[in-house]
Amino acid sequence: MTTATEHPISQQGLYQYHDVIGLLSPAGPGFSGPVAVTTGPDGMLYVASRANPNQPDGVRVSRCTKDGEFLGQFGSWGEGPGEFIWVTSLAFSPQGEAYVADEHSHRISIFDAERNFSRSFGEQGSGPGKLDRPSGLAFGPSGNLHVVDTMNHRVQVLTASGGFIAQWGGLGDHEGQFHMPWGVAIDQTGDVYVTDWRNDRVQRFDSEGRFLMAFGTSGDGEGQFNRPNGIAVDSDGDIYVCDWMNDRVQVFDQAGGFKDLLIGHSGMSKWGRTFLNASPDIERKLELAVQNIEPKRRFYRPVSVHVDDEGMVYVADCYRHRVQIYQKL
Amino acid sequence: MPEADRSLMAHLLRRAGFGATFQELDRYCQLGYGAAVEELLHPEQQPAIEEDVLERYYIDWKESRNIEGALTESVYRMNAYAGLRPLQEKIALFWHGVFATGLAKVLHEKTMLNQIDLFRESGLGNFRDLLLQLAKDPAMIFWLDNNFNHKDAPNENWGRELLELFSLGVGMDGHENYTEDDVKNAARAFTGWTIDDDNVASLPFGKLPWRFCYLPEDHDEGEKTFMGHTGNFNGEDIIDIIAQQPATARFISRHLYNFFVADEPQVPAWQHTPPGDPEAIRILEEEYFRSNYNIRSMLKVLFNSDFFKSDQARFAKVKSPAEVVVGTLHLLGDFTFPKRGIFDVALGCRYMGQDLLNPPSVEGWHTGEEWIDSGSLVERVNFVADQVGDIRQPGVREIVDALFDRTSELDPESIIDGCLELMGHVQLHEKNKNHLAGQIRSMLDRRSGSVSGSPGEHRLAEDTVLHCVLHCMKMIGSTREYQFA
Repeated sequence: MTTATEHPISQQGLYQYHDVIGLLSPAGPGFSGPVAVTTGPDGMLYVASRANPNQPDGVRVSRCTKDGEFLGQFGSWGEGPGEFIWVTSLAFSPQGEAYVADEHSHRISIFDAERNFSRSFGEQGSGPGKLDRPSGLAFGPSGNLHVVDTMNHRVQVLTASGGFIAQWGGLGDHEGQFHMPWGVAIDQTGDVYVTDWRNDRVQRFDSEGRFLMAFGTSGDGEGQFNRPNGIAVDSDGDIYVCDWMNDRVQVFDQAGGFKDLLIGHSGMSKWGRTFLNASPDIERKLELAVQNIEPKRRFYRPVSVHVDDEGMVYVADCYRHRVQIYQKL
Repeated sequence: MPEADRSLMAHLLRRAGFGATFQELDRYCQLGYGAAVEELLHPEQQPAIEEDVLERYYIDWKESRNIEGALTESVYRMNAYAGLRPLQEKIALFWHGVFATGLAKVLHEKTMLNQIDLFRESGLGNFRDLLLQLAKDPAMIFWLDNNFNHKDAPNENWGRELLELFSLGVGMDGHENYTEDDVKNAARAFTGWTIDDDNVASLPFGKLPWRFCYLPEDHDEGEKTFMGHTGNFNGEDIIDIIAQQPATARFISRHLYNFFVADEPQVPAWQHTPPGDPEAIRILEEEYFRSNYNIRSMLKVLFNSDFFKSDQARFAKVKSPAEVVVGTLHLLGDFTFPKRGIFDVALGCRYMGQDLLNPPSVEGWHTGEEWIDSGSLVERVNFVADQVGDIRQPGVREIVDALFDRTSELDPESIIDGCLELMGHVQLHEKNKNHLAGQIRSMLDRRSGSVSGSPGEHRLAEDTVLHCVLHCMKMIGSTREYQFA
């Protein structure tokens, strides 16, 4: 089995493959359909697994070091306090609390600094403060929570306790309108970036929700999307977009110009190596399946992207149950 | 449209699909029978479901990791297409029953689902081409051990079932259709037809797709004699010869008749048991050859035939569990957008005796009256009653609203007639209808004190009528006619 100890670089040479964390597992070290990845205030990596409805034990938020040491998990499947059914995203407030969106229960659950359940808010509806399948979450510089309210085709700005502040959007494909938006990111100036999922574009707004620009069209060329979802902005202002159904991550400059492309170069993770060490027959079969090596390394429905302060790019590679890590050069 | 035409259209949609809602029936009736048949035969011309939305919410379905996920994916898709491309789903269900392949052995859910997609895409096309694609289908190769069929160590499993259960059948008209040597030589011709990776274990990063591959170095290049033909045959040559056989025409015709027209004896009996309607089978056999083995053409003849349209054919076939579950879901208008709960509903098929994607053997499910036993009957009736008695279901609400709109004075007879029509033009035997009327009348008596005099004389409280309507729908769901197609 390849371990990809070489460190291939991205299409334009701006990023280098660094490492991978992951293993298909319903509990403990491993993920099960990871849909959100971010760094916590403790510098640790947090990964939310959506899992399989028929294997609900897999639903949880995992905590590990950035080099793959498993530290624990919180949250579980269900509709009670501290539980989720269809987890979509994860964000940390300036106070260090973890906010987790559940698009089945139409609510946001909040976990304290010890990762114990604290409270939740949200109920289904279309009025101010109501939610209909919430997805992306991001906190702005002022500490307000931005929620992508998917089936209301809007972005809502809420207080940390869920109080309504503002909203914008509406169903459509004109400037400032959305069609089932998914991801959201906020840059250092407070500008808000939203992946307008079914319109195959990214829209940028100022902190008051005024439309600034949009980029992207439908397709699989550079600067084109097939249902973009996860989005992040780094300290240089570069924009990272998970181009979900094209199985890649695209990088853009502040003006929306194409910069680079990641397609996935994953090797074997530490957790995967432990698994294979215990299952030598599987490793032997994997080695025989030479023609299958290539797809094993590539992204398969990347859902979430996060960039930390050191320029490390973390991509939740959903159908491969791992987080691929790249270094910005 | 005359009542007779509406009744015929409802019959067509129960057989070529999973039944129709009253709104769909209105549309098809406006279209006319011939045009409706044409539309059904060309599902690819109808809109597709929104795959991106499906995958967004059921994120695991693209790479189903267990049999439950694969089962729910199948049922959701059948239901989602029941109004758009009903025959596409029905023909996939048909071939799944004929080319029965199961997860109990295959253990690779995505590969199994790919096989069902093959039936969706090619199931109405040329039978010879379908058989060739099946021979290259990774799930089938693994299911019947053709990955263990080597030049120096042939495995006859695929070769035998190809002839016995997938094309010729053991025999017809009292004689056998092939010899043991034909089986051995067919197997030799398929040596080297294998898959690139037969690892079924759970891998560190999930399972990877299986793909067909041909290994020429593992193929037996020797001379083979098959069905009277001799040559250095490869698998494709065997399929060409199979497709030309009268026995294949008979076999496919009987299967189509059994699935779409009337319950026949089970396949193992076909060698010695003649068709129930030999003339119908002869017509289908003729079309098989005339159309160069085209399934769509055979079905066009079938749906337009007198034997299909006859009164005797209506409500004369026991619905399969999948037809009961999907037909009822379709009636309810439920799961038109991804939401939780489809798994619990999909399990209904399993509880009624049809574990989709996991047939009991390569012979598939026995059909007709064999669907029914005391346990499965209770499951069938309870399933339908639970679903159609729920006013929160959009389709039930539409039926109730339409009933209230159409009739200002609701008496037992008009409630029953309205429900029967709005549930897809179900036609009850007079005895069953009278029994149902007695039940409804007695219920009205209990809830409103007394209902005497001629029907319709009394204005009843709306909640009383609603209760009776829902009860009536539940009872219709338990009738022989609803459980039959």
